[in-house]
Amino acid sequence: MTEHQGLLSGGWDRVASNKRYIVWFYLLNLALAWLGTAAFKNQAHDFLDHSLLSGRLLHGFDIGVMVEMFLQPEFGQTHASSASGLHFALLFFVATALFLPGVLQGYASTYRLPREDFFRACGRNLWRFIRLMIVAGIVMGAVAGALFGIQSFLEKKAAESTNELLGFEVRVLSLVVIFLVMTALRIWFDLAETDIVLSDQRAVRRSIGTGFRHMWRNLGRLLGSYVVTTIVAAILLGAGLWIWMRFVPPASVVGAFLVSQLMLILLLIPRFWQRGVAVRYYLENMVEPVAVQPYTPAPVAVPVVNDPAPAPLLPDTPPETQGA
Amino acid sequence: MKLRWIIMFFPVLSVVVISVVVKEHAVKAASPQGALAAVAASVAGATPNVSGASVIPDTTLAINSTQPLSQRVVHYEIDAKYDSAKHTVDATEVLTYHNLTGQPLDHFPFHLYQNAFQPNATWIRETKVAGGRDVSYEKWEDKDYGSEEIKSLEVAGQGDLTSNVRYIQPDDGNKDDKTVVDVRVPKPIAPGQFVQFKIAFQTKFPETQARSGWKHDFVLGGQWFPKVGVFWHGAWNCHQYHATTEFFADFGVYDVKLTMPQFEVVGASGVKVGETNNADGTKTVAYHGDDIHDFAWTASPRYRVKEDGVFQGQMGPVQMRILMQPAHWSQVGRHEKILRESLEHFESWYGPYPYKTITLVDPESSEAGGMEYPTFITGDTSWFMPKGLYLPEIVIEHEFGHQYWYGMVATNEFEDAWMDEGINSYTEVKVLDSILGKKTSGINMLGATFGEREQQRLSYIGVADLDPIAQKAYDYYSFNSYGGITYGKTASVLLTLESIIGEDTMAKAMHTYFMKYRFTHPTKEDFLKTIEEVSGKDLKWYFAQAVYGSQVMDYKVLKVESFPVNWYVEKETGSHKDDKNTVYRSYVWLQRKGDFIMPVEVEIKFEGGEKIREHWDGVSRWTKFTYEKKAKLESAEIDPDHKIQIDRNDFNSSYTAKEHGRTALKLTNYWLVVTQWLGQALAWWAV
Repeated sequence: MTEHQGLLSGGWDRVASNKRYIVWFYLLNLALAWLGTAAFKNQAHDFLDHSLLSGRLLHGFDIGVMVEMFLQPEFGQTHASSASGLHFALLFFVATALFLPGVLQGYASTYRLPREDFFRACGRNLWRFIRLMIVAGIVMGAVAGALFGIQSFLEKKAAESTNELLGFEVRVLSLVVIFLVMTALRIWFDLAETDIVLSDQRAVRRSIGTGFRHMWRNLGRLLGSYVVTTIVAAILLGAGLWIWMRFVPPASVVGAFLVSQLMLILLLIPRFWQRGVAVRYYLENMVEPVAVQPYTPAPVAVPVVNDPAPAPLLPDTPPETQGA
Repeated sequence: MKLRWIIMFFPVLSVVVISVVVKEHAVKAASPQGALAAVAASVAGATPNVSGASVIPDTTLAINSTQPLSQRVVHYEIDAKYDSAKHTVDATEVLTYHNLTGQPLDHFPFHLYQNAFQPNATWIRETKVAGGRDVSYEKWEDKDYGSEEIKSLEVAGQGDLTSNVRYIQPDDGNKDDKTVVDVRVPKPIAPGQFVQFKIAFQTKFPETQARSGWKHDFVLGGQWFPKVGVFWHGAWNCHQYHATTEFFADFGVYDVKLTMPQFEVVGASGVKVGETNNADGTKTVAYHGDDIHDFAWTASPRYRVKEDGVFQGQMGPVQMRILMQPAHWSQVGRHEKILRESLEHFESWYGPYPYKTITLVDPESSEAGGMEYPTFITGDTSWFMPKGLYLPEIVIEHEFGHQYWYGMVATNEFEDAWMDEGINSYTEVKVLDSILGKKTSGINMLGATFGEREQQRLSYIGVADLDPIAQKAYDYYSFNSYGGITYGKTASVLLTLESIIGEDTMAKAMHTYFMKYRFTHPTKEDFLKTIEEVSGKDLKWYFAQAVYGSQVMDYKVLKVESFPVNWYVEKETGSHKDDKNTVYRSYVWLQRKGDFIMPVEVEIKFEGGEKIREHWDGVSRWTKFTYEKKAKLESAEIDPDHKIQIDRNDFNSSYTAKEHGRTALKLTNYWLVVTQWLGQALAWWAV
């Protein structure tokens, strides 16, 4: 790997050499969502399995029949099943926060990170991440609130115009600006997270400061990388939905499941790619060089047994252990 | 009594009739544009001088007929000036009223609709409590305010009666409601006599609400002038303006002059009969309408106009004038196409459209969209309207349908809103099904479909047990109940009626009803009686539940079951295998869950394909059918031809012996994808 490799390709290399993380996160995502939809599944089976009318939902997408189903008291309360789905989606978010330090550690490693090191990184950084997420939540919430407030104001102003399209144009333009600003904030806190994990930084505020400085100094380069990966995600989502609608027969449940799951696993990649970019950037620009004393072997008459050295944060050679 | 007046005014009538007939001949030979010029000239001659003898003119300038089509009770001559900065109209109105009630009249009620848009008016109160179409009135703003004030009122021969004008509240006694005034006349108007009111008034429009008012530089002038009530069934019928009611008025002739800035593009009811530019930068546009019962207009400097479309109707050419918002111009073809197709279907199925024009307005705001006035309707669209999303088509067809069910068959919208909105929703389903397809007449895009009849049914089943159809529009539990019952239930009830009397008979009944009652004010009894007469069936049992009652229909297949007749033999031998000679005893249990009783058909299907149709009168709460056959029962379905539209739950109307879980799995997969994606999106942004 060259030192000045591009951020995108450098980030991608890290994703490519650690594909197992995506697979594990996908399985976690699927398992949690599966549990989250159990209530809905039971409701649907109870209501539909003996009705001939349900055939109109199977062999097409009849919106009227779908709406009627949700309107029926016999179908049951949908807010219970939707709340359950939302709770499991939140659980996936928590799990991501929990396991992310291990992923960052793995991306920084030049070898397959041992399982115990993966979980050690997770455990060591848990409290730091919680603190960081609280700060990130406050900052991002405040900025998002302000930006959406401005957007609402601009839209109101646009509605005073006789140009009907102006409101839409203002909305699109403001959403683009909001997206860019929020992405910049995301970069900031991604760098802070990377710094916390890879520098073993206990003082979260220092990582936040370091993250902000680097985000600000290299905004164009970092933002470009993040925007490209987001566009990739949007293309994947669009293409996945198009293939689903265009090629999967309405009655093919297995086909729909496979295509939708393929789309969802692919959708995980861009975000991991962004993490790879952050790690690549960290290694390139943020890691502080460690002063290493030149090794001068002393003449030894009698062999001695040295104490084992502490495990380096960025080991150069892989130990012989099973990877996570 | 009427004859005496005709004799008295014979000389005047003769002059008018001769004048009109002569000019009509000229109009017939001319092109539509030429016709307008001829109309303009003829109106000047046909309109009586307000200071002269009172009479309702029998002009036919705006209709494709040489004879008046309605019993003309009113003649409105309005000279109005619109101030586009203040959104006000200052006008004088000369109303000639012909007393055809058969009794002397000593008072006259008038609607002042724009007074509804005041904080304590009944309209606002009801909207706040029961909901409304456009606004919720969370806070009151100056732009919401509307008013309609009579500055002076004079009765020809009786002097200035402004002091006799009193606000009345016949429906709810709300003293703050000023939407109806009553005028006492010192000298009662004898039967057959004419009376002429000269009214000076000012109307201030609110920002568009209830499909009237202004938005930016656009204005829709609906319900904007003092309009006399209808003397109906021995009394004045002049209700307050309610959140869930529309309008009711007598037929007559309208001559309206609108003065406004020259840059405005104007559209209105009736035919345009003149336009003159004034020295002060304004212009005066004159319109004339025959056999109509209301007059609306619109103006905006930004309208783009298409007016070269002509529909060749059964009674003559109909000019289609379409006023579009510039941003929607690419949809003008869609608008004209559905308007033309609606005209074709209504003429072919129900009867001729007699007017010379139909004006379709694409308004500035959706609050003004989807409204009907005689020969003048508003559509509803936006700049983004995919081809498979038929919102403009639905709205335009619906509003055009009102030219028949409201415009010509002028029912009382206050008391029987279902007779215009509901019957119109029924014909909307029929027409749109024919044009766009039964299951795709609402949405047909990206593999998703939605039919209009389904939409009507769904709007009903959510409020099925709240209100009956036959009740005053303002007595409904809520705005949703009003909409679901008046529109959705009526359409569903009439579609279900087709299963009882046959689709062709129903079509014939609708045609008969229109032809018999056009240009009159029929009652619900008139409508229901026509259906019974045409079908030759006593349908009172159905109407009692479906129209007058609030009974809810819900038929259910409770369960189906099959087992071998000699089940014990199989058990003894330990054989669980089916063979072709095994005889099965099968049962089907049906339940009437709701309180609506109606005979239904049931289709029982057996393995191997055999089908049996059964009839159940539905009187008892449940019933059972038993069979012995060499095949197991596969499924049972109530109403297998799907003719019943009023069953609250169609899912339980069928039952299959075997479970089939693919639909549930398909929907669960949708739910799963959404949940997974939501989790990923959260994780993307929040950590």
